[in-house]
Amino acid sequence: MLTTISLSLLVQALINGLLLGLVYTLISLGLSLTLGIMGVVNVAHSTLIMLGSYLALELLQRLGLDPIISAVVAVPVFFLIGVLLERLLISRVARTSQTTGLLVLFGVLVVIEGAAILRWTTDTQVLTVSYTNASLTLDGIAIAVPRLIAAVIALALVVLLDTFLRSTLYGKAIRAMAQNRDAARISGIDTDRLSLLVFGLATATAGIGGVVLAMIFPFDPQDHYRWLAWAFLVVVIGGLGSIRNTLLAGLLIGLIETVSSILFPFQYVYFIVYLLLVVALLVRGQGLAGSQSRAL
Amino acid sequence: MMRHAADVPAGSGRPSPNGLVADTSAGLSMRGVTAGYYSHDLVLNNVSLLARPGKVTVLLGPNGSGKSTALRILYGLLRPRSGQVLLDGREITAVPPHRRLALGMALLPQGRSVFPELTVQENLEIGGWLLMRDRRRLSAALEAIYARYPLLKEWRQKQAGSLSGGQQRLVEIGRMMMASPRVILIDEPSVGLAPVIVDQVYEEIARLKEEQRTILLVDQNVRAAVALADYVYTLEYGRNNLEGERGAFEDRLEALIKSWLRF
Amino acid sequence: MSSALLERVATGARWRSWLYRGLGAAAAVGLLALLGVLIPLDWVTTLSSVFMYIMLAEGWNILGGYAGYLNFGMVTFFGVGAYTAGVLCTQYNVHPLLTIPLAGSVATVVALLVGVPALRLRGVYFAILTLIISFLTQVLVTNLGITGGASGIYMPALPFDAFTNEQIFYYAFLFLMVLTVLLAFLIEHARFGYALVAIREDEDPAEILGVRTTWLKTQALLLGACIAGIAGAIYAFHTSYIEPQGTFSLDISIDVVLMSLVGGLGTWQGPVIGVPLMLVTAQVLRILAGELPFLGTALPPEFDRVVFGVILILVALLAPSGVMGLVRRVRGRRLTV
Repeated sequence: MLTTISLSLLVQALINGLLLGLVYTLISLGLSLTLGIMGVVNVAHSTLIMLGSYLALELLQRLGLDPIISAVVAVPVFFLIGVLLERLLISRVARTSQTTGLLVLFGVLVVIEGAAILRWTTDTQVLTVSYTNASLTLDGIAIAVPRLIAAVIALALVVLLDTFLRSTLYGKAIRAMAQNRDAARISGIDTDRLSLLVFGLATATAGIGGVVLAMIFPFDPQDHYRWLAWAFLVVVIGGLGSIRNTLLAGLLIGLIETVSSILFPFQYVYFIVYLLLVVALLVRGQGLAGSQSRAL
Repeated sequence: MMRHAADVPAGSGRPSPNGLVADTSAGLSMRGVTAGYYSHDLVLNNVSLLARPGKVTVLLGPNGSGKSTALRILYGLLRPRSGQVLLDGREITAVPPHRRLALGMALLPQGRSVFPELTVQENLEIGGWLLMRDRRRLSAALEAIYARYPLLKEWRQKQAGSLSGGQQRLVEIGRMMMASPRVILIDEPSVGLAPVIVDQVYEEIARLKEEQRTILLVDQNVRAAVALADYVYTLEYGRNNLEGERGAFEDRLEALIKSWLRF
Repeated sequence: MSSALLERVATGARWRSWLYRGLGAAAAVGLLALLGVLIPLDWVTTLSSVFMYIMLAEGWNILGGYAGYLNFGMVTFFGVGAYTAGVLCTQYNVHPLLTIPLAGSVATVVALLVGVPALRLRGVYFAILTLIISFLTQVLVTNLGITGGASGIYMPALPFDAFTNEQIFYYAFLFLMVLTVLLAFLIEHARFGYALVAIREDEDPAEILGVRTTWLKTQALLLGACIAGIAGAIYAFHTSYIEPQGTFSLDISIDVVLMSLVGGLGTWQGPVIGVPLMLVTAQVLRILAGELPFLGTALPPEFDRVVFGVILILVALLAPSGVMGLVRRVRGRRLTV
């Protein structure tokens, strides 16, 4: 009896971990894209995720829009935010100095976080929709419906982006730019415009990520650092240049989180993730430097 | 006939190859270009060059004389502080590199420049980026390249980074030829390659010459370059030094190379 | 004029300029010391916090400014210092004055543990690592029993009236700030400082030329951490209550970077200029915004954060060498005339 319960508990934890892992992959994609392709460490990434959550909240409260629809709305909105950020800030610094870029993006982080507190206060928010507490039960294994929906949206985006980068000419050009920017330029690719596209896409995934996270977790303007750490961990473990590896890393982090939250009190999960990130950065941080150094 | 840059009367502006009035409306040229990466030193100081249409023009000089910088400026990868770059009489100094293919120009850069994690075919497709809106022309260009370089067709599914240095060079040439450029800038084509491959690269350049393409070749491999040249320029300390027809250089090669070895 | 004479005149002029500068600095410190008994209480408090931030920024500047290693987790050492003082004082009855050097030592040890592995990373990866370590420390302090967890530690009050109390902290911070600025000045003009700048300019050749970069960077980090630890300990007694959210707030790390940047990275004057400039800016903005009808008088502190963020972006983009950069440019122009 005991063994069947703990077995089903384990299976449930595994399924939950994989579902969460898909969501973690989604929130890491943007960070991986900007770092891998443009060499920009976007520390403001998680504030964009947080804005995505508030977009879902506003759309739900004002227009009664389901977060599933908000995820679609987030695409153009956040694409535009990303394009503006790239044009106004990133394009001016990214290529001169990575550390100047970092300072600017810390500034962006501070501005967005401060503005979010001014607008929405530090109160914790929850998205409540009809299926918030619904769950599917199968053989004693319960799966929360919001997690399932969040995971499906995340999976769809991961597949879509992977296909885009692998199979379309634009995707190939983006990968070419990541591998050798100057060689891409002399082949006729307008790398400045392509960078706009990349940053727009990265920001759009952050926005959708925020909508999707809001379906499963409460949020406030300040707890986004957690997602910054989670996303960095996924990127550092998964490496740059392959969405499939990012997916594997995301699933791994999802599993680590659910398994360790069974074994330890929840706050230890933060400790474990931060510690893992410190170790991962020490082990392969510099190896992530990417191919930006390659130039004519 | 070979002349010293100092022989050209000061203030006469552009150099006049052959002592004739140069037809500056044709070919690729650079006029009075001054350039440098830092404010306190100049890599190029008032340099003028002309790559005449359908000819091979070779740019020689010791290490650090500014040859590669001249090429970067001609292709728009670097902006000169003063001076102009002209293509068939039209000023293109400020045209960014990604627009140059559309003008019929192409650059074969020094060292490895393939996209290592793309397949050979994907590398070629990037070379055909200008045709991206026209799938049919793109695949026609691809077929033409495969016909021209059958080896590339064999390797087309391989990752470019997995090929040898010489094979990668062929991918780079194929990628450049996707746009079938009229004016080709080549930077140190033989650096880091095995001697057998080097011969093949020069054979390919000879073929490009036969096809009446305008070629500007920057090279350390003086003998091989001069053998292909119609006209030769040399740079020293970032300034025009000697220039003239190939014939004038062939017998002075030894002395020239020896003088550069002092640097 | 003979060259020997010329040299003697030049040396004399240099000595005189040093003398004037030294006198100017002494006068400034004397004035600040005098202010401590002259100005009203809330000004004393404000200036104390200016002095504290100058300490932190000078400490940060040693590694961040001269060597170019941006530490985005300076608050780790500040918080460790504050908690060392708190824990030793409340749980082990150590005399408050004794906890201050101990806080500096513990912060230095933590810096050694963090720095030896972390300083192998360069550029942005070092910055991210220090950021995460400050999060890690915060989580740790929140969940340990000895630190009082999320409910924090109430510090013992000093047996004086409020005004005397504030003055004590004023002079403590003033004294330590002067020492820190002096230390930064000496480092800037010593081989140590030049070597750090060489690391910033180009680390690999510096290493090849025999600069022991790893050890120098570690020293720079340890010095900064020690200063931050001492500042944290005094802060703990000054504020009388510490808890993990505020004491390990990322805001402190970012403010230290911002203030150094605004003043001018890698100059001893930078923090001295940047800190008051930013804190005064914050005050003025509050007053101005309070006048505006739509914002009202109860302006939330987050407004400062937004403005600071905007300033960080603008300075990094447009004037990355800060006020000192502008000063140098003007001076340079004057010299060439």
